[in-house]
Amino acid sequence: MISEALKRTILAELKLTDCDLEDATLASEVPGWDSLSHVRILTAVEETFGVRFRGLEVLRLKNVGELQALLDRKLSAQR
Amino acid sequence: MSTSSFDRLWDQWSHWAEVSPDAEAIIHYAGGKAEKRWTRGHLMIRARAFAGALAGAGVVPGDVCALVMRHHPDFYPLYLGIVGAGAVPAVLAYPNQRLHPDKFVHGLTGMATHSGLRWIATERALEASLQPLVTGAASSVHALLFPLEWKLDSSAAPGRLAGADANPDQPCLLQHSSGTTGLQKAVEFSHRTVLTHVRDVARAIALGPDDTIASWLPLYHDMGMIAAFQLPLATGTRVVQLDPFEWVAAPGLLFQAMADEGASIAWLPNFAYHLLADRVHDEEMEGLRLDRVRLLINCSEPVRADSHLRLLRKLEPVGLTPRALGACYAMAEATFAVTQTAPGSPPRELAVSPAGLASGDVILVDTHAAARVCVSSGAPLPGTRVRVVDDAGQDVGPGRVGELWIHSATLFDGYRNRPDETARVLQHGWYRSGDLGFCWDGEYYVIGRQKDVIIVAGKNVYPEDVEAAVSAVPELIPGRIVAFGADDTSAGTELVCVVAETLVVGETEQQALRVAILRAAMAFDITVSRVYLAPPRWLIKSSAGKPSRKLNRERILSGALEAL
Repeated sequence: MISEALKRTILAELKLTDCDLEDATLASEVPGWDSLSHVRILTAVEETFGVRFRGLEVLRLKNVGELQALLDRKLSAQR
Repeated sequence: MSTSSFDRLWDQWSHWAEVSPDAEAIIHYAGGKAEKRWTRGHLMIRARAFAGALAGAGVVPGDVCALVMRHHPDFYPLYLGIVGAGAVPAVLAYPNQRLHPDKFVHGLTGMATHSGLRWIATERALEASLQPLVTGAASSVHALLFPLEWKLDSSAAPGRLAGADANPDQPCLLQHSSGTTGLQKAVEFSHRTVLTHVRDVARAIALGPDDTIASWLPLYHDMGMIAAFQLPLATGTRVVQLDPFEWVAAPGLLFQAMADEGASIAWLPNFAYHLLADRVHDEEMEGLRLDRVRLLINCSEPVRADSHLRLLRKLEPVGLTPRALGACYAMAEATFAVTQTAPGSPPRELAVSPAGLASGDVILVDTHAAARVCVSSGAPLPGTRVRVVDDAGQDVGPGRVGELWIHSATLFDGYRNRPDETARVLQHGWYRSGDLGFCWDGEYYVIGRQKDVIIVAGKNVYPEDVEAAVSAVPELIPGRIVAFGADDTSAGTELVCVVAETLVVGETEQQALRVAILRAAMAFDITVSRVYLAPPRWLIKSSAGKPSRKLNRERILSGALEAL
């Protein structure tokens, strides 16, 4: 399940009013989400949620669900 | 560097393997995995095995063999093996997930037609997409090959390889420009030309035996293929190769690799300076030192002074000095480099009046406040001449802006099987680059473009391709679409804008139309960043009756329409 907060962050960075983001959604399926906007989206997620991703963690992400899972792990580690 | 210079690639590579077989040639990096370290000796042994297997599969001298595969440690010996078999390798971009399979095949069909591709060495994952190229009625493609699956017998000693007897003046590689709608053009270069060129570049950057090159550049691009692949192979220089797809997702990998391997030289397009400066966290830099870096060469996009400054600020604490900044003006048509700044001193910067530049004059100004800072790309390589000419083809002289024309010993002699395109740009041995620039104190400054091409993150995007992609969107008035590039100062590159006429009004409907335009371009692996919708008859037409890219771009950038 993609949280509303993560979805809002991604869509705002891509200037999209709405787009279905499921766990299995690939970046390549979302309008405007290419390799350059990918780094911008990750930075926006980092800033919004106060987390830091490392290079190798980012490389392993295959879909939006895995980004959500990585974010959740980071957030729970902070608690 | 050694003075042993051969005039065939195979002989030159074999020479280095014989001189010091245990020296490292290529270090293949892949995120999270142990790197594969190719010594010169092992690289050539495996290349010979591939050459034998390719010949066994039916590859004969002169055949063009395309390579479409992802970052793989066996890519290098396979590439060398193709040359060993006497065939002509052509590295093509691996389709990313956005690119629609039909568009990918359509683009390849265009290349196959013009370039006479005979073989496509690829991965099983692309078999279904590529098979139509083999069975297509008029296709030149004889078969797909899956060499990464081959069981090679490296111990077998093949006889003398065809590549060792290649005519040095015959093509040794093909480079294709990007494009999806039949605009792709291929340039071909001979063994002698490539070797001459990389030796000239090596001298211009004072390449030495202690240098190590690091690169994340795609090998289908001339900067990756010539500067970061042919040059190190021909000069016996160590090179670290990263995966371009991985690097763009995690740019810090380059610093890690450079620090680990003591790399001293890298070529980077301008946008990379921003990505590296802005997207690599300080935590990722902990413990890294880049003291050995002596040259970062900005190339493939207009060089921006603030991009250099950004990266310098980021890397000065880990050992980078301003002396390590460099720049180069290059293009596939010239094999690669046309000009290069002197190693050991940063590129010269000139603060000039923007108004002066607009009227074609370079007028130096004292204050940087209202100035445009132009960065030098250096002086021409030996044997290369650059002219700055006006619309009538007359030289304009130092301090005046004009189109850059290039003549060199390693200039291409035409696009393969494209006499029409060749005649347009190549006249009496001079290549009309379509770039605008000026000469100042013997150095050349590239400041813009006469041609319409958009350079996004070092990659050429043709407005024709964007317009064709977007024309499939219903609700847009046919033929009333214009694509152009605009400056993206925060990313240090350009972005693609589309303006289209439509009868659709209403915010929600227009937003839906914008997304449809984005999606249509995505299928061609083009990212449209700004969409402008206009009512019918809004676009200014050129004298030929088609909407003018130049005039409509100027009108929009002056604020005539708001982007959605």
